[in-house]
Amino acid sequence: MDRIQRIWGEPTPFGSGEEWSQRVDAHLAVAESEVERWVQSACVLCSNGCGLDIAVKGGRIVGVRGRVEDRVNHGRLGPKGLYGWQANNSPDRLTRPLLRRDGALQQVSWEEAMSVLVARSQQLLGESGPLSHAFYTTGQLFLEEYYALALIARAGIGTPHLDGNTRLCTATAEWALIESFGCDGNPGSYTDIDVCDTLFLIGHNVSETQTVLWMRMLDRLQGADRPRLVVVDPRPTPAAREADVWLPIRNGTNVALLNALLHELVANGRVDRDFVAEHTVGYEALAETVEHYPPERAAEICGVSAHSIRNAARVLGEAERLVSTVLQGVYQSNQATAAAVQVNNVNLLRGMIGKPGCTVFQMNGQPTAQNTRETGANGTMPGFRNFENDEHMNELAALWNVEPLMIPHWAPPTHAMQMFRFAEEGSIKFLWINCTNPAVSLPELQRIRSILGQERLFVVVNEAFLTETAQLADLVLPAAIWAEKTGTFTNADRTVHISDKAVDPPGEARADFEIFLDYAERMGFSDKDGAPLLKFSTPEEAFEDFKRITAGRPCDYSTLSYEQLRGGSGIQWPDGRERLYRDHVFLTAADVCESYGHDLVSGAENDQDEYRAHDPAGRAFLKAAEYIPSDEQPNDDYPLLLTTGRSVYHWHTRTKTARAPELDAAAPEVWAELARGDVQRLGVAEGDLVAVESPRGRVEARARVCGIREGVVFLPFHYGYWDEPDGSAPNGRARAANELTITRWDPVSKQPLFKVAAVRIEKLADADGNTAAAPEVTAIPS
Amino acid sequence: MNKIGLALRELYRAEEDLADEYVKAGERLAVEHEVYYACKRFAQQCHLHAETLRTFAVRYEEELPAADDDEVGETTTASLRHRVSELLGRRPESGLLLLRSLRQLYLQAQEVSFHWIIAGQIAQATRDQEFLSTVDRLHRETLTQIKWLKAQAKQASPQALVAASG
Repeated sequence: MDRIQRIWGEPTPFGSGEEWSQRVDAHLAVAESEVERWVQSACVLCSNGCGLDIAVKGGRIVGVRGRVEDRVNHGRLGPKGLYGWQANNSPDRLTRPLLRRDGALQQVSWEEAMSVLVARSQQLLGESGPLSHAFYTTGQLFLEEYYALALIARAGIGTPHLDGNTRLCTATAEWALIESFGCDGNPGSYTDIDVCDTLFLIGHNVSETQTVLWMRMLDRLQGADRPRLVVVDPRPTPAAREADVWLPIRNGTNVALLNALLHELVANGRVDRDFVAEHTVGYEALAETVEHYPPERAAEICGVSAHSIRNAARVLGEAERLVSTVLQGVYQSNQATAAAVQVNNVNLLRGMIGKPGCTVFQMNGQPTAQNTRETGANGTMPGFRNFENDEHMNELAALWNVEPLMIPHWAPPTHAMQMFRFAEEGSIKFLWINCTNPAVSLPELQRIRSILGQERLFVVVNEAFLTETAQLADLVLPAAIWAEKTGTFTNADRTVHISDKAVDPPGEARADFEIFLDYAERMGFSDKDGAPLLKFSTPEEAFEDFKRITAGRPCDYSTLSYEQLRGGSGIQWPDGRERLYRDHVFLTAADVCESYGHDLVSGAENDQDEYRAHDPAGRAFLKAAEYIPSDEQPNDDYPLLLTTGRSVYHWHTRTKTARAPELDAAAPEVWAELARGDVQRLGVAEGDLVAVESPRGRVEARARVCGIREGVVFLPFHYGYWDEPDGSAPNGRARAANELTITRWDPVSKQPLFKVAAVRIEKLADADGNTAAAPEVTAIPS
Repeated sequence: MNKIGLALRELYRAEEDLADEYVKAGERLAVEHEVYYACKRFAQQCHLHAETLRTFAVRYEEELPAADDDEVGETTTASLRHRVSELLGRRPESGLLLLRSLRQLYLQAQEVSFHWIIAGQIAQATRDQEFLSTVDRLHRETLTQIKWLKAQAKQASPQALVAASG
């Protein structure tokens, strides 16, 4: 079957409470009989975490096959999972370290590369201290690698400047969970989809971003006892096309819409009074806030009819088993955390959490994003510890055998956008980037390139390929990737998978884990007794150490082991538990919580003493927020609203997916989605070349005329410059969506807002027989 | 002499002065993105506080002028300040400028908070329930501003004073 055209494969419909059937998806470059070994792993090309086995022949990867026994996918794989592995075998993998000399990157030995790295690091620590060092990691490594990095940064160097690109994808998920439930960790299980009677998807184009999860939903939607589906998205996504109620709201207005939905639940007596009284705090203030958001008001703000808002509220109000899911349409948009929290409030008001079929999913973007959060590599502390709680920090220091003051906790760990600001002003002088591509993925690329290009900033990049970012580095370390090293990672429903090493890395490439350990040893990081700080030398030993750090914490790994993870399905933490909060006792108690929380509108941190004085002691928070319009509104010069996003065939900046021929051919070039209702006025037709311009930059793309909301333009953010001549920056024709985006982030989660920039369209040339490279399966032409 | 009116006028002035300071700080610190947007919103909030106070002052026979509506980025010197911000923004000393601005805002916000305490006492002693609830709501907003300023200062100071000294 052509899984490029048939993204979700053969349907296998099922009814409520039935077992989702097994279906084994595989793609092999050789006959199955020629496969010499199958090695257990899971997919790293979205946050779903589908179990798969890697086929090996002659020391090379020759394909993949879904693991039928895995709880996440029951054997299924999506297009990226099926075809993406080919990137491992790509001839342009980095195989030797590269050092910038006389302005150009030149091959050097590992010994020389590490000596240069350590010498510069020690020199800067001596001159400027630990605050000169920053680490910008990813959502693509394994738990053990993040843990080693967190230990090095927090207790070896002692810098608050460690964050992941997970700040761009998952920080709002994390903070929405903390603000409502006191702690990170998704409450539910993917099996909740099997028994729900209502699905509420907001800003979550699951049909493209988590194709296998959509297969599960689609199979329910096509089976007996079809659940009802409400979708909020300005684009007519495949999920929106299946919806009972689709609300194509103006981007940036999520809080207004959600307040109106909550208004309707309250006004129509759809609140589970007993649950709210026993298990939550803040109901009065929430009811008072949403009272001012009747559907008519939200209709005006959001640009959808009051009637459709009432319909959506009716579906949510009549639900008996409600699964709500949230992703980037909320997380990367205006008032990100405030909006995500209102989705939690929908489930809390309905008392629908911690029970089969009843949950909210604050989804993750990347495959291992969950682990950056658990290990403290994402602007948090290891084991979901609270940096303001002295007991938590003393405990961590004791476990690591360092003085508590060694671990910076005078303020929240620095978030990625602030790290780049410190690098811009010059107080950060050493920036180590692992396996991520900020020169394409961060907002306002002109600025990011100019920061990375500074002479006074020493940029180290671990990478598998010469990305746009690697081209700007001073030192590039060739990294082994998935299938070339062993480690574990955790998906959005807390399922932990092991990924075993199947093949050797190419050339001299090394696992990030080995690189970090080598650095730590050369730097001589030690604990307070003078023993080496890192007391492990293999990934399994690091996992065992992490078990010690999380024992008794909410993300308790202590009952898991490599041995247990091998052979069967992935296993959820803690202790294989499907759902958190079954007793409706949340993790909000002052001694337990991961944070004392924030004012959702301003981002001001709550005061510890005040929190303790009103200790919610296990009740969930119902936190209210007024709608505040986004800062950059369409105006006379820039009359349209830009939203950026992911498309089904690509992952991030196409580093891997463009090296898989099927995926590359399916979406080889950037496109711009324009609304039918706008194109006549703009004088643009399908396939025309247009310029999309914002106050910060300009991008050229062919137009796809489609059913997107009027006044809104969509650009996929995947396309950069590495596969063009001179590929670290635009060379004549810019095509990275982030040339246009704004440097602005959510006040609570600090997640950049990629989905609210004002733009204008200018037609540059007729289609002349060309069409937009947009996939017709997902962006249907008018 | 209208002593209540005088107290409310002082609060009004303090809010308007704080709004001014947010506007200036926002423009001066345009490259500190989070501070820039927060200043923008807090300036609007202070103006709104002043305007709300004006409607209540009438009850105490005090006539206050209409509140300003200066916004970050819209004053006559905005583009100059913005340019200076960009020029200084690439120097490590810009952290000191940030700290100085945060200190000034923090002190003025404390002053505003003090006046709201007094306003609350007036509302109670004059048995004005509506004014009392309004004072309570607006004072909480000022306290939130103070928390925000405090958190920013805690984050900015090590980088400005310890890291940048090297």
